[in-house]
Amino acid sequence: MRLSCVNLTVSFQGHGGTVEALRNLSLEVESGEFVSIVGPSGCGKTTLLKTLTGVVSTQSGFIERIPSSEDRNDLALLVFQENSLFPWMTVLDNAAFGLRMQGVGRAEREDRAAALLRRFGFGGRERVYPRELSLGMKQRVAVIRCFLSDPSAMLMDEPFAALDYQNRLGLHRELLELWEQDHKTVVFVTHDVEEAIILSDRIVVLSRQPGSVVAEFLVPFGRPRDPAVALEEEFLVLKRGIWTALGQHRETAAGRGD
Amino acid sequence: MARFRTIALGLWLPLLLLAAWQWAATHNAIDPLFFPPPSALAAAARKMLISGELLAHLHVTLARALGGFLAGSVAGLAFGLVMGASARLRESTEPMLSALFATPKLSLFPMLLLLFGVGDAAKIVLIALSTFILVAIHALDAVLNINTAYLELAGNYGAGRADLLRFVYLPACLPQVFTGLRVALSRAMVSAISVELISADKGLGSLIWISWQTLATDRLYVAIASAATVGVLLHVAARRLEARLLPWKGRNTRG
Repeated sequence: MRLSCVNLTVSFQGHGGTVEALRNLSLEVESGEFVSIVGPSGCGKTTLLKTLTGVVSTQSGFIERIPSSEDRNDLALLVFQENSLFPWMTVLDNAAFGLRMQGVGRAEREDRAAALLRRFGFGGRERVYPRELSLGMKQRVAVIRCFLSDPSAMLMDEPFAALDYQNRLGLHRELLELWEQDHKTVVFVTHDVEEAIILSDRIVVLSRQPGSVVAEFLVPFGRPRDPAVALEEEFLVLKRGIWTALGQHRETAAGRGD
Repeated sequence: MARFRTIALGLWLPLLLLAAWQWAATHNAIDPLFFPPPSALAAAARKMLISGELLAHLHVTLARALGGFLAGSVAGLAFGLVMGASARLRESTEPMLSALFATPKLSLFPMLLLLFGVGDAAKIVLIALSTFILVAIHALDAVLNINTAYLELAGNYGAGRADLLRFVYLPACLPQVFTGLRVALSRAMVSAISVELISADKGLGSLIWISWQTLATDRLYVAIASAATVGVLLHVAARRLEARLLPWKGRNTRG
């Protein structure tokens, strides 16, 4: 699925009047491309993702979700940072939920979910409830559920932001491993520049609210990619570039008030 | 071991009080006519159990309480859920429901007697009313407090209305609905006994009242203790059922 936003403006009715979340944002995500969105907190990143799913309506501009030949459905699935699992379903039922919604029979969906769960360290724990899982394990299940549905696009909203460093590294590795199977279109929102570089093909930097694109960076590392690229010289150069793009904008935003 | 500890902690105070009572009553520190020693109460309880009298009263009270509870909670559940779904219905009935909640239900009993006569119907309606309100309020609250994140999540995966109801609304509401049912069950027992104090010739409430009027204090305390015991047993049973039906919830044990 190719995603295309042209001159997108989105605003909400807040307590103190209208709040503009996005202004004139244009963004293209090619089919099979892994794009990260970084920006200061509150820059409308979540709004952008929700707009892409069609939940939020726009004031002006438009969004297109163009199917590609590899797509098997028109799902654009979100992965959230919290409340990503239903607390009343077992790990297995949570993982198989997407398949269930697609009408896959019980035996098949449980087999497929269990197989993927086993591969990612849930052997013997498929029947526990989310409250017994660590945050990292919960997010693993959410990612597994998303991949099982075989969506045409994945929209991830800081899914690993609350995890500790070790857990985050593990999940990066696993996400890349799953993604390498068939290169789905991914829009990955994060405030972690390193995470963005490790995972994506391209990084889009948003401005402070109302969000619009201030810079774009192509990530020069090949695929399949190992998170260990974070130790390379080139990585640091890129990171510095992105930091500068984020920082410069912060200065202009602060200067504007004078 | 932790379980044993909990039980021991829950029992030491009542056992101590009973021992003190026994000592005081047998040493004439308190009037044994008003406060017969626990040993005498145990003997009375045994006699009433063997004669079948106690169980007959208990049976009548339980039948009233459970009948009222069943009718009241089914209606309350349905009403609360519908109220949660319809803002218009909610706004037009909430003030009335609050007023009913604040009214001592027993004060409505004379009116119910006028409406339904002196038979069991008026009593059961009263019990049903008090459970209805509790269950309705909890069910309403449950619907209003559903975390919309789960609705969005299910919707994102293509869930339709029926799916949302089955996979999100219903399971998300159950814990609080259960709390309402549990509280209402206890309330049904209390209401049954209260109403029997006023007007009945059978049931634990009437046993308490008649014992008081005839100054049969041993029978009075046996009746009170039975009411308390049954109340506790119902509460425990409801908790067990809840833990079995909602395994995902898990209770936080307080330290």
